[in-house]
Amino acid sequence: MTMSHLPLVVENLSFRYRRREELAIQNINFELHPGQVMLIAGASGCGKTTLMRCINGLIPNTYNGEMTGDIRLFGKSVKEMAMVEISQTVGTLLQDPERQILGSYVLNEVAFGLESLGVPRGDIIPRVEKALSRLGILHLRDRETFGTSGGEKQKIALAGVLAMEPKILLLDEPLASLDPASAHEALDAFRVLADEGYSVMVVEHRVEDVLAIHPEVVMYMDEGKVEYFGGVEGLMQVVDYHRIKLPAQVVMDRAHGQKQEKTFEATIRPQVGNEAELVHFDNVRFQYHEDSREILKGIDFKINKGDVIAILGHNGSGKTTLMKHTLGLLKPTQGRVLLEGKNTRQISVAQAAHTVGYVFQSPTQMLFAPTVKEELAFGPKNLKMSEDVIEKNIQWAIETVHLPEELQTPPLALSFGQQKRISIASVLAMRSRILMMDEPTAGQDYWNYTAFMDSILQMPGFDAILFITHDVDLAVVYANRILLVYDGQLMADGTPYDVLRDEALLRRCRVLPTSLLRANIEHYPRLGQFHRAETLSQFVS
Amino acid sequence: MLVTWAYRVRKSLMGSFDPRARWIFSFAFLISATQFWDARFLVVLFVLAFLWYFSARVPFKETRRAWTFVWFLLLIMIVVNTILTGGGAGGVVPEGGHVVWPNGIPIPLTAWHFHFGLTYERLWFALCQILRIGGISAVFVIIPFSMDPRSYGVTFRGLGFPDKFAYSMELAFRYVPTIARDFGVTVDAQRARGYEVEGSGGGIFKQILRTAPLIVPVTMNSILTGEDVANAMDLRCFGRGPRTWLYKLEYHWQDYLLIAFSILLLLASLAIVYGLKLGDFWVPEFLIRMIS
Repeated sequence: MTMSHLPLVVENLSFRYRRREELAIQNINFELHPGQVMLIAGASGCGKTTLMRCINGLIPNTYNGEMTGDIRLFGKSVKEMAMVEISQTVGTLLQDPERQILGSYVLNEVAFGLESLGVPRGDIIPRVEKALSRLGILHLRDRETFGTSGGEKQKIALAGVLAMEPKILLLDEPLASLDPASAHEALDAFRVLADEGYSVMVVEHRVEDVLAIHPEVVMYMDEGKVEYFGGVEGLMQVVDYHRIKLPAQVVMDRAHGQKQEKTFEATIRPQVGNEAELVHFDNVRFQYHEDSREILKGIDFKINKGDVIAILGHNGSGKTTLMKHTLGLLKPTQGRVLLEGKNTRQISVAQAAHTVGYVFQSPTQMLFAPTVKEELAFGPKNLKMSEDVIEKNIQWAIETVHLPEELQTPPLALSFGQQKRISIASVLAMRSRILMMDEPTAGQDYWNYTAFMDSILQMPGFDAILFITHDVDLAVVYANRILLVYDGQLMADGTPYDVLRDEALLRRCRVLPTSLLRANIEHYPRLGQFHRAETLSQFVS
Repeated sequence: MLVTWAYRVRKSLMGSFDPRARWIFSFAFLISATQFWDARFLVVLFVLAFLWYFSARVPFKETRRAWTFVWFLLLIMIVVNTILTGGGAGGVVPEGGHVVWPNGIPIPLTAWHFHFGLTYERLWFALCQILRIGGISAVFVIIPFSMDPRSYGVTFRGLGFPDKFAYSMELAFRYVPTIARDFGVTVDAQRARGYEVEGSGGGIFKQILRTAPLIVPVTMNSILTGEDVANAMDLRCFGRGPRTWLYKLEYHWQDYLLIAFSILLLLASLAIVYGLKLGDFWVPEFLIRMIS
């Protein structure tokens, strides 16, 4: 195929956002062939999203700045194309499907692009049904989009893109909000599309997951520049495995024989006995309304001093609902939740906040103050802490999330990843004895989340830590106890080894084993503990 | 993600009408109701509004929050604007009138009297306000709970508005429940940080400042949602040219009847007010006699 007929050619592309001094991307060159899957990896802020915006026309259509170089779609420069023309060639799946879905029902959502293009009404339904069938979700056709699960939303958004029959697919962190099984299904769908002739670009932090569908090319970006472009094998040797999460065996091979990595040891350790009980879920059932479905179905467990609990489960399994009960934000329909022996029905949320700190999933739902410092002081002030203590807590919290230079910055001016870390710091500053985090690593790159998770787990003062995650490796590395939730029921509660070695159970709960988990399960009988890959390599010859 | 109102498919008289006919009726009713301050006409319209409302067969528990909001606003308007200050009655209720406490309200344990110029006419006007605003609210509150959200956009297009305006109306309709949902999440997030919505002490300025932890994130989220929606629409060729609307609306005989009734209602109202010069504020004779 000649260059002029290639789906996508990028030549010497650089871009600087208006009001920014530095270039967001510089001198990018590559081409994409039909049937190829291209993985773009890199830490937060490396320029991946900017590159996608240049290709799909959002730059310069929505985001202004200075662009040099060229992008050609099937030989035609995007500079000569209107946004509408680009959108018919390039289909974009945004990071969060919730941000992309416009229609209130699945049929409307998938038909939206075709309606905009003025496709005759009689042709729309067959094309919508074809797109839905291709992704195996035709049964959702007449469902409300709001009531679908995270994985279904992702497929619905993709069907909306496919219905327009683009030739190139840009997928911006498509796995970010998906449980492992849904992510796996989505990836399979991308591979099938590429095999049918689509050119697919996937921007993703979860490199190991994408490698499962054998991308033909990989681009690794850092600070707006291409650091590596080529096959998968080359990437494994080039990138720093502290910055990008690679398959465990690759990391172990590369780390083997190198300088010894420090073994991670959490400060917090399990304790036994009744005096160690902090929270007690006593046969908790919950539904929002009498006639709505039951979300929690007889949950029974205790949180004890020293627990570091990872809550795993599929999208919509009830994990967040469960966490909200701990703080009393939701009250059980049946059963009771005891926080340090007190029924959460009898205490206010503000009272519970003295003991439990809860980091919500989305930072934009809580950040409001003019500076990071004031944001961090908000919780401690509500808890009536003294000025001295507040000042000390702020310093500790901001250093834990590695953003001390941003204390005077407005939190809403920071990047999404930084905002997420500020939201964590704002709860850390309250010095609650129980810390709960809902998807703490979502939207974070590997290096950043490893750094702050290490810091949090090594800080003294917490009696227990709970986190919800879809990242099985996060549970492997940090948790000393796993709760596995499926459809509102607690399917397993035990040590990581006891729960995570049951592969059949994990799969039933839509949680998939990773290479790191498998390596740890293999070596556990000898090591008696789970480790991260680089540490594991020191114990394994 | 924009969410929708709690709509459920029901077999009802209201549901059998084309949404365009329903909007035409709603606006005809609105214009008619705003012509009158005469309680005799307002009672008729009030009854008509609630007959219309109940024809949707939507249980009260589904609309309870919307009604709480409406009655809260109405109560503020009546208590502050009509009963306490009388400002809302200006230009409608004639000056003077029959004062409820001509000698003032005695203050217990003192020889003083509190002079409060509330008149029976203003009280009657408050009743008229309840009839008028209650009726209009009944006609409009029921719309999101009884109209299929898929038909919002195409309805406005079918009423002759341009594609962009019609789709904007669809988005605008869904924005209200979306803000309500976002507000709920933000309240929970801030309560988890020890924030108590009902703050203690401080003047009104301090109380307003206390709402910043709720107002700022909800506003910022709305802006971000707006940007996301605009991007998602751009990426799917919105505004390229004439749009196909997936759903096709068709008038049936009952729709023509409803439209004819709406036009009749509107014309009759205008004829009564501008032709017969009736419908101005009126206080019943028996009330005046009773007071005298």
